[in-house]
Amino acid sequence: MQKVRFLKFVLALLLVATTFGATHHAQAQNAVKLRFTVWIGPGAAMDMLKGIAADYNKKTPNVTVQFDTIPFNDYTTKLTLQLAGSNAPDGGWILENTAPQFIASGVLTELTPTLTAGADYDFNDFEKPALGLWQTGNKVYALPFSTSPFLIIYNADMFAAAGLATPAEQVTKGEWTWAALATAAKKIAETQKVYGLESVDANVYKPGGFWTTMTPIIRAYGGDAWDANNTCLLTSKNSVDAIKFYHDMVFKDKSAVPPGENADFFTGKSAMTIGQISRLTKLDSATFKWGIAPLPKGPAGDGATTGQAALGVFTNGKNVQTTLDFLAFMTNKDNSAKMAQFFPSARKTILSSDAFLKSNQRLKPEQMQLVVEGISKGRVLPSHPNFSAISLSTNAIFDELWTANADVAAVMEKVCKVVDPLLKQ
Amino acid sequence: MAAQQLARGQMARRYNTRRGSGSAGRETVWGYLFIAPQMLGFLVFVIGPLLAVFVFSTQDRNLLTGSVKTVGLNNYLTILTNDALFTKAVTNSLVFTTLLVPVNIALALFLAVLLAQKLAGVMIFRVLFFSPVVTSAVAWAVVWRFMLQGEQGTLNQILSIIGVKGPNWLREPGWAMLSVVGTLVLKNVGLNMVILLAAITNIPGEYREAAMVDGANRIQVFRSITLPLLAPTLLFVTVITVIGSLRVFDHINLMTEGGPANATFVLVYYIYYTAFLGFKTGYASALAAILFGIALVLTALQFALRGRASQP
Repeated sequence: MQKVRFLKFVLALLLVATTFGATHHAQAQNAVKLRFTVWIGPGAAMDMLKGIAADYNKKTPNVTVQFDTIPFNDYTTKLTLQLAGSNAPDGGWILENTAPQFIASGVLTELTPTLTAGADYDFNDFEKPALGLWQTGNKVYALPFSTSPFLIIYNADMFAAAGLATPAEQVTKGEWTWAALATAAKKIAETQKVYGLESVDANVYKPGGFWTTMTPIIRAYGGDAWDANNTCLLTSKNSVDAIKFYHDMVFKDKSAVPPGENADFFTGKSAMTIGQISRLTKLDSATFKWGIAPLPKGPAGDGATTGQAALGVFTNGKNVQTTLDFLAFMTNKDNSAKMAQFFPSARKTILSSDAFLKSNQRLKPEQMQLVVEGISKGRVLPSHPNFSAISLSTNAIFDELWTANADVAAVMEKVCKVVDPLLKQ
Repeated sequence: MAAQQLARGQMARRYNTRRGSGSAGRETVWGYLFIAPQMLGFLVFVIGPLLAVFVFSTQDRNLLTGSVKTVGLNNYLTILTNDALFTKAVTNSLVFTTLLVPVNIALALFLAVLLAQKLAGVMIFRVLFFSPVVTSAVAWAVVWRFMLQGEQGTLNQILSIIGVKGPNWLREPGWAMLSVVGTLVLKNVGLNMVILLAAITNIPGEYREAAMVDGANRIQVFRSITLPLLAPTLLFVTVITVIGSLRVFDHINLMTEGGPANATFVLVYYIYYTAFLGFKTGYASALAAILFGIALVLTALQFALRGRASQP
C-alpha cells in the first residue's frame, strides 16, 4: 500500500514537471537566441560587439545575441567540432587561411542575396579585392569585417634607453628596414637584458605559427609561400635568405625570442612585436610608452601583409534567416564605423573618412593613416583549400628549423617536397 | 489427521512457492530499475561510442564537410603498411612506456619501503608524495612547462647557480621526451606508492621476524620475503601504469604538442591530431581501434600472469 502511494507521488511529480516544461518551452519558442563565435575575450572590443547586439535587440526585441569566445590558437578546431555537433553556432568569425576550406566544405550560407537586398546597406561600398578570398564567382560566403595590416608595435622607453631612434622616427628618415630592426633589437637585447623582437602572438614556434610571422619577412625579401600556380616558393633564394635572417636574430644575435621562452611584449619583456591594431587593447594598462610603425622594408621592398577575418553564417545553425539579418545589421555603415577602431573595415567610405582616422582612442590620426596605407598596399596571408593538411604536414619539419645549427635551405627543401603535392590536390 | 497434515504441507508449499516467486520477482524488478539509470548511461556514453568507433574506422569521414564513405579495411591497411607517422607514434609510445614504467615502479617501491617504517612524521611525507596525484593534470603540465623553459625557466636558473647550463628541456628532441616522462613520474608515483605501501603493511611481521631469527639481513629479507609477497601487487601496478602510459595525451598536448620535430608524438596525440586538426575522423577511429587492441592484449596478459602468480 505504501509502495503504491509512493509510486503515485512520483507519477504526480513527473506530470507536474512535464507540464511546466512544455509551457516553458512554448514561451521560449518565440524568443530567438543567436550564438556567434569569436576569438576575442572580455575587453573593449567585446564590449563594442555586445553594444551592437544590444542595439539589434532594441530593433528586434525577440532576438538576443550571445558572443562565445573560443581561444585563437584552437579556434578553427573547436569551431569545426561545434559545427559537426548538434549545437552548431549560428554565425562566427572565420580566419583567412581557412577561408577556401570553409567555402568548399559547404558550411557557410551564401550572403549575396541578403547583402544586396537593401540600398541603404550599399554592398558596393566594400572593396572588391577585399572580398576576393571569401567568394566563389559572384557568390559571397563570408563578409570581411577586419582587413588589418601587420605592424611593428614597439616599446618607446626601451629605444630611448638604448639611445636609438624609434621605428617611427626611422620611417620618417627612410631608414626603416629589416636590417635596421635587427640592429636595434640586438643593441636593446645586449644592453637591457630583454629580447628585441617577439613574433606574432608569440606563435612562430607553435604548430601553424610559421606562416603569420615569417610571411611578411619572406615577402620583403622577394619570396613567398607559394605562387598562383600552386608551386611552393619556400626553396627560392629570397625565401631562404629571409628565413635565415630571422634565424640569425634568434641564434646568432640572440635578440629574437628563442623557442621555449616566454617574453611577452605587452608586459614589457620584449622591445618590439609584430601585431595588428586589435592587439593594442592589451596595452591599456602598460607602464611604458609605446608606438607603431609599418613593417620594415626588405631587399625587395615592401612586404606589407594583412590578416583578414570575416563573418559567416553557418548552414547548420538553427536560425539562418535571423542570423543573416543580424550580420547585415552588424556590418551596415554605422556599425562598421564603430568596429573600425579595432577591426579595420573593407568599406571604402569608412577607410577614406576622417572619422576612421579618429576612431581609435589609442592611436593618433597620423598613426591610423599607417593602417589605411597598410590595407591598401598589403597582401593577405597565404591560404589554400588544403591549408589544414599543409599546416599539419609541415609543423614537424618547421621544428627542425629552430635549432642553432639548422640548414635552412635543406629544411625548406623538405617543406616544399611535402607541400607541393598538397597544393596541387 | 494425515489428510490435514497433507493439506498443511500443500498449503505451506503453495504459500512458500507463491512468496518465493512473487517477492523474488518484485525484488528483481526493483533491482533492475535502480541500476537502469547507470546502465543506460554506460550504454549511451561508453558502449555506444565504442561500437561507433569500430563502425567509423571502416569509413572515410570528414569532420568539416560531414562526408561519409565506406572504405572497408582500407584505413587499417594504410595504417599498418603505409603510414610513417603511425610508426613514429607507436615507437614514441613504446619508448615513453619503457622509460616511464620502470622508473615509476622502482621509485614507488623505494618510497613505499621507506614510508612503511614507523617513524615520527612519516605521515607528512606520505601526504607530500601523494599530493601531486590529486593536483589537476592541466595545472601540473602548465607549471612544469613554465619551469622547463630554456633560459628563464626555474630549473635552469637553479642549475645556473651551481654552474650548470641546462638544455632547452622541451625544445630539444632528446630532452623533450625525458622531460615529459620525468614530470609524469613525479605526478603519478604517489598513487603506486600508496598501493604498494598498503601491500607492504599487510605482510605479516612474523615472516620477517622469522627470517631475521634465521640470520637474514634486511636486504635478504626484502629480496626473499617482501618482494615475492608483493608480486601480485607489483604486477597490478605495472599493468595499470603501462596502460596509463599508453593513454597519455594531456601532458603531451600542453607541454610539447607532439614536438619538437615529432619527438614526443605518441599514439593518442596522433589520434587527436588526425581527428580534430586533420578532420579525418574515420582514420582516427581506426587508430583508436588499434590502440584499443594493444590495451586489450596487455589486459589479457595481466589476467594470464596473475593466474600464474597466484598458483602455489
